[in-house]
Amino acid sequence: MKIPNPCFIALALSHLPLQALDFEREVRATFNQRCVSCHGPDKQRGDLRLDAKSFAFKGGSEGPVIVPGQSAKSALLARITSSDPDLRMPPKGERLSPAQVKAMAAWIDAGASWPENAQDRALASDPRLQHWAWKPIQRPAQGRSIDDFLQRELNSAGLQMNPPTDSRTLLRRLHFSITGLPPSPEQVADFTVAQKARVIDELLASPRFGEKWARHWLDVVRFAESDGFEMNRARANAWPYRDYVIEAFNADKPYNRFVREQLAGDALGADAATGFLVGGAKDRVGSKDPVLTANQRADELHDMVSTTAATFLGVTLNCARCHDHKFDPIPTTDYYGVLAAFQGVQHGERLWREKLADKAAPPLAQPSLRPAIGPGPNEENFVPQLARFLRFTITASSGSQPCIDELEVYNKGGANVARQARVKVSGTFEDGRHSKHRMEFINDGRYGNDRSWISKEPGRGWIEMEFTQPQELVRVIFSRDRSGSGGQRFKDRLVTGYRVEVSADRKQWKQVASEAGRSKTSIEGPQVYAGTFQTPGPTRRNHRGDPTQPREEVAPSALSRIGRPMTLAANSSEQQRRLALADWIVSSDNPLTARVIVNRLWHHYFGCGLVDTPSDFGFNGGRPSHPQLLDFLASELMQNGWSLKHIHRLILNSRAFAQGSQWKAEAATRDSQSRLLWRFPPRRLEAEALRDSMLSSSGLLDLKMGGPGFDLFEPNENYVKVYVTKAQYGPAEYRRMVYQSKPRTMLDDFFGAFDCPDAGQPQPKRTSSTTPLQALNLLNSRFALDQAAALAKRIETEVGKAPKAQIQRAFALLYQRAARADEMAACEPLLAAHGLPLLTRALYNSNEFIRLD
Amino acid sequence: MNHLLHRRQFLGQSVSGLSSLALASLLRDDGLLANEAPLRPQIDPARPYAPRPAHFAPRAKQVLMIFCSGALSHVDTWDYKPELFKRHNQPMPGAGNLITFQGEQGNLIKPIRDFKPRGQSGKMISDLLPNLAELADDMCFIHSMTAKSNTHGPAENQMGTGFILDGFPSCGAWVSYALGSENQNLPAFVAIPDPRGVPQIGPRHWSSAFLPAAFQGTAFNAQKPIPNLATPAQFSPAAEQATRDLLRRLNDAHLERNPGDSDLAARISAYELAARMQLAAAEISDLRGESAATRTLYGTEDSNSNKAGFAKNCLMARRLLEQGVRFVQLFNGSYAMGEGVGNWDGHKTIHQQYAVHAPILDQPCAALLRDLKARGMLRDTLVAFVTEFGRMPTFQKGANGRDHNPKGFTVWLMGAGVKPATSHGATDEFGYQAVEKVSTIYDLHATLLHLLGLNHERLSFYNNGIERRLTDVHGHVLKDIVA
Repeated sequence: MKIPNPCFIALALSHLPLQALDFEREVRATFNQRCVSCHGPDKQRGDLRLDAKSFAFKGGSEGPVIVPGQSAKSALLARITSSDPDLRMPPKGERLSPAQVKAMAAWIDAGASWPENAQDRALASDPRLQHWAWKPIQRPAQGRSIDDFLQRELNSAGLQMNPPTDSRTLLRRLHFSITGLPPSPEQVADFTVAQKARVIDELLASPRFGEKWARHWLDVVRFAESDGFEMNRARANAWPYRDYVIEAFNADKPYNRFVREQLAGDALGADAATGFLVGGAKDRVGSKDPVLTANQRADELHDMVSTTAATFLGVTLNCARCHDHKFDPIPTTDYYGVLAAFQGVQHGERLWREKLADKAAPPLAQPSLRPAIGPGPNEENFVPQLARFLRFTITASSGSQPCIDELEVYNKGGANVARQARVKVSGTFEDGRHSKHRMEFINDGRYGNDRSWISKEPGRGWIEMEFTQPQELVRVIFSRDRSGSGGQRFKDRLVTGYRVEVSADRKQWKQVASEAGRSKTSIEGPQVYAGTFQTPGPTRRNHRGDPTQPREEVAPSALSRIGRPMTLAANSSEQQRRLALADWIVSSDNPLTARVIVNRLWHHYFGCGLVDTPSDFGFNGGRPSHPQLLDFLASELMQNGWSLKHIHRLILNSRAFAQGSQWKAEAATRDSQSRLLWRFPPRRLEAEALRDSMLSSSGLLDLKMGGPGFDLFEPNENYVKVYVTKAQYGPAEYRRMVYQSKPRTMLDDFFGAFDCPDAGQPQPKRTSSTTPLQALNLLNSRFALDQAAALAKRIETEVGKAPKAQIQRAFALLYQRAARADEMAACEPLLAAHGLPLLTRALYNSNEFIRLD
Repeated sequence: MNHLLHRRQFLGQSVSGLSSLALASLLRDDGLLANEAPLRPQIDPARPYAPRPAHFAPRAKQVLMIFCSGALSHVDTWDYKPELFKRHNQPMPGAGNLITFQGEQGNLIKPIRDFKPRGQSGKMISDLLPNLAELADDMCFIHSMTAKSNTHGPAENQMGTGFILDGFPSCGAWVSYALGSENQNLPAFVAIPDPRGVPQIGPRHWSSAFLPAAFQGTAFNAQKPIPNLATPAQFSPAAEQATRDLLRRLNDAHLERNPGDSDLAARISAYELAARMQLAAAEISDLRGESAATRTLYGTEDSNSNKAGFAKNCLMARRLLEQGVRFVQLFNGSYAMGEGVGNWDGHKTIHQQYAVHAPILDQPCAALLRDLKARGMLRDTLVAFVTEFGRMPTFQKGANGRDHNPKGFTVWLMGAGVKPATSHGATDEFGYQAVEKVSTIYDLHATLLHLLGLNHERLSFYNNGIERRLTDVHGHVLKDIVA
């Protein structure tokens, strides 16, 4: 059948009586049956939706599709009547019937009246913005304490909290929950429930508190002290970040400050804090392949973007790398906007200025300056310059003849065109026949002192490159020694003054970069793996997340549709970008930040958060079990100067926390996971608490705080590091487990079996499994046997050789209670026949020892 | 604590209105996607390795994954390209200024060994691995495999875990999470590292990452037993029995005081399982019961100690599969200890390097496959022979070896559920890139899960805001190769 052209239809139908049209039956029904599958909530082909009035009249990417009164000018009609199979709608299935087409045209010509129904009203604005978590935090009018809110939900479920637990269980619970260590038998003996508030204050003031809670934070931020991937070399100076977190929690650093420092500590006198930014994996395997290199960098930035959003905001911004978020109102440009804030961040070490002996020397904050020149890559970006020649003139060095291991020159396409360039130099330092320092090493693509160039003259020299053809140059990167993993080996002979000039004809030169504006900070001094900062080039949206398909430029931004938009001047420095993002995250009208952190605290106290998806508050995350309680805690946090200890105190002093953990069949049928908190949910100790309490009870625990961690693996210098668990641990390894130097994705044989996160990916919520390997480790490992022996020795020293006294002391140290008669009877024969170390070994394996209730 | 392992939830009691994930309710509300919703196995914490039903009838019950670390060259083994002989030492047409992992490319270079037709199928395979080549009629080749990275670490990550990034659960962890095991006295998932050392990404190949630790692969081989498996020598059997009896009494009394908390019961049974595992795992590694003929077939007494070591590992793999272990990962090649020294990474002197590595792999691995076939075990066992990527048909400029090539390489399957004597997909005339039925590692994993009766789009675990899958958001079952 021949399809008439739209003009003809319009004419032919214009006489149809208006009342003959039933919008719902003849128009909306057609949309719903034939159009909405591609132009509706699931897909928005051509950015067009036809499932609600607001969308239909807004039109699609090519403008409005309905022009009321003028069907001939309406793209909608043109498309449903088109004879071009590429344009015709619907593209698949049968064509719309002539009657449907007629009705559509008549409806438009009659003014396209669209009576609103419930769906039209609901979709008048983006329904995704109605999600609970994006709404402002509202302090509930009713309810003054945690227990008020919990009680309300319990009442409506017909449930009751358990009675308060006994004083021994309570003190054990307080100690483990706050410090991660058990109380001593003497502390238990002295404790009465009346002292609860005071003991809570004392424990929160203990340095052990920060050590316990830092571990939880480190899980969330995927902190590890090695690079990951197959090289997985150690980062010798990553530990200061761990110490920073421990100290921040102990000092009750306001949470808003804590957030800002982790994103921009270089501006706030907290260098180690930005260890957060570069806490993730870094692929150190360099390659000549530009696509691989671009992907490696894109993955690095992805790690920073997604960890930042998940940690502080509970938002899965990582989902918007390749496409708009499928469930939350996060366009892909938000992803690249946040990425722009990190565009200048590079993995690596920098000076730890707070630890300098002479703190006065370099000013702590130099927001207006670019980073100082270092031995690693130093980058200069400039607006594209069409040129065939580039000259790098050295005007100053940190001492003697300057040295460069590689000079890279990038064109707009991201290729290092220096590799094929013809090179000339002012003169080369001579040191014998087999010199490691030659002109051809400047652009050989290999890093390190062994393949570098040294100028003939102290403090000066020049390199000139001629490219095979004119290039659009955008960037120069030069370095002294990039061979080290993380750190650099050679730090002498640095270029400290330079000019970069380009020329089309080698006659007219144009300067495009120099050391001007760089900080003069000395590189000598303690280093911290907290990232280096470079002037960022433009950020572009990568089509489908593919760095080889850059599209439009994206300005630094935060989330555009949640909270208030972030403001940032166009000429802001790299550091100001991060500061602006940090300020946006902690601004009082951001609805997420406070909710997310109080929920994390709740999660660790009760084993499950009010929102049980602690790093996803979006549409796919869990709904809060107690929304008002969540907002109550969030507003308490902000109203009390973002003091986390204030929230800890509120939770710890609640009745909910102090109640018994007894299981009740009746309550369990209504709330099997005890999310309403009709009891304190008991659980297995986490790996760290288990190890620490074994050491604590055996008397071997070393409470030395801070500094580089201890290693659970044998030393190994292979360039692809091989991790072999040490066969035996000694006093060096008897510190708290938070101080283990944590390699990425490498778990030791023993505690790795206890659900330790491996820091490959953030893990805001640990699993808790029970396996036979755990049993074998606790029964047979050298560590367990050593602890059992040390505990036996301690008991004998403390109470002598009387069997009953030994058993009582063992129970006191491990369970903080007296042995019952039946237990005494059970233990005595083993002790008599096989000795005390066997008894202590058995008790370490008991359920009571490993359980927190 | 993750709700997955809560026995309370496992027992199926109602969770009132507090359902944990909105997605499920969203899907329910919309009344759609009922057959696309995540499927998470129900795990009894007291028996994490208990066998669990597949999503649909499986074709295979067990998996043997043989992983050649370092990138085994496909053009020198399974992917016959006559053009390479014809155009030996000529530039590769269209290559231009091709820059691969280590840099510029030299000329096309013919395979380091000649090719011959094999078996009834006449499949052309090189002489590098002559014993394996004889099994051509049982092999199902995928010649069009591609990887997302040309670097060993990320690429091994991808073959092992589906993701090029660190921190995702390995294939075997997913399978044991989904299906448990047929043997309760051994781990569900065993990794057998090469005698020369662990593969390039080490334990990440058998990591459970964010899955519960119960599904971590347990690594041991003929050289190195399960850590802490044996009862220390200083404890007499009587002392050990007395310890276990006391432990049981204390735990039983404790359980009585804490009724309803079955995590405690789970831990009691874990100790019983541990005791049985001490016996069962020790038996697996004890090869003395194998006949002299079998040992000779595998080469366990070979004078080449690396070959003998790998042969013992192969024999162990058979013994584990015989015992019903769900997923066995057998590694050939270790971490890098110099380019191409410990593994198949033949950049500079591929002739010499492959002359070292090939004999270690060939006879023992072929013996294992013949043995599995002879015992009828290939009816239930799916074998996947994989590597992280292929190698270039050219030699590197100024070197006598081949650079990394993720654009096209070969893996093969054998056994349960796959078509024998089949070749799927193809690379171009030089073996440089996949051009026909281009396949991805996602496809391979999807196919693997499919053969085990698992829907790769639905088997999932929630972590850090995302419902995670082995195949991310990709993967198509390679239906052509399913028997």
